[in-house]
Amino acid sequence: MSTIPQQELPRPGGFPEIRYKRYIPKVGPSGLVLFSGITLMCTFGLYRTGQGNLERRELEREKVWSRIHLIPLLQAEADRDTYRREVAAKQREAEIMKNHKGWKAGESVYNSDRYAPKPYVVLP
Amino acid sequence: MATHREASFLTTGKFIDPTPAPEEAAHPEVGATSAPLKSAAFFIGAYCKDYNEDFMLCKEENNDPAHCLKEGRKVTRCAMDLITKLRENCEKEWEAHYKCLEKHNQHYYACRKPERTFNECVFSKLKLEKVIPDAAGTPIHLREKTIYN
Repeated sequence: MSTIPQQELPRPGGFPEIRYKRYIPKVGPSGLVLFSGITLMCTFGLYRTGQGNLERRELEREKVWSRIHLIPLLQAEADRDTYRREVAAKQREAEIMKNHKGWKAGESVYNSDRYAPKPYVVLP
Repeated sequence: MATHREASFLTTGKFIDPTPAPEEAAHPEVGATSAPLKSAAFFIGAYCKDYNEDFMLCKEENNDPAHCLKEGRKVTRCAMDLITKLRENCEKEWEAHYKCLEKHNQHYYACRKPERTFNECVFSKLKLEKVIPDAAGTPIHLREKTIYN
């Protein structure tokens, strides 16, 4: 005669369910809302940045033109001063070199009629 | 900190040439500082357009300072004339604007309110208008809503 071997069996009524899932309560807006909200905010920010860049360009144009309008006035004043200094330097040079025959005061070192600003500053 | 000498070598007096100007270069100067000039720049550009362009064309012809003394005198005289007119007609508004410019690092955008009153005054009294060439859309000084202000 054969006996049925006794195996381990679940307790009567079975085991209780094993809780392996995370039970986290839903808090805050959903991922879709967050994502679309951040996208909207970034779009608005980039738009404002672009508008600001365009506006800065116009401000720069305004500044440049204000300077362009002032250039002749400032240049004329600077020219008169440079001319005065050049004439004075030439007179001093002529006075110093008056005993040297054939010396031309204020003569350019270049063989050209084009004006070249003095590369040095004359201290009177 | 340099306490024993001037901050700039230009102010030590070494570079001052006391020789008086020769007759052809003697002319009173405008004598205005940067803020009043920047405030009035567009009006100087509009009022003295012909003299300014003449001077710049002369300078293009020859860069020698002696070459354009006559044109330069005209430019300065025109600017002085405009400054006298501005002071006669819109001194208060002008002063408000250039003092604001002085206070705000000479940024135009920081001083739109005094600029508007000044521009209106100049337009009504002297018929001069501030025009920025090649401006895109509404000129920046006339915009109501701006990002930089």
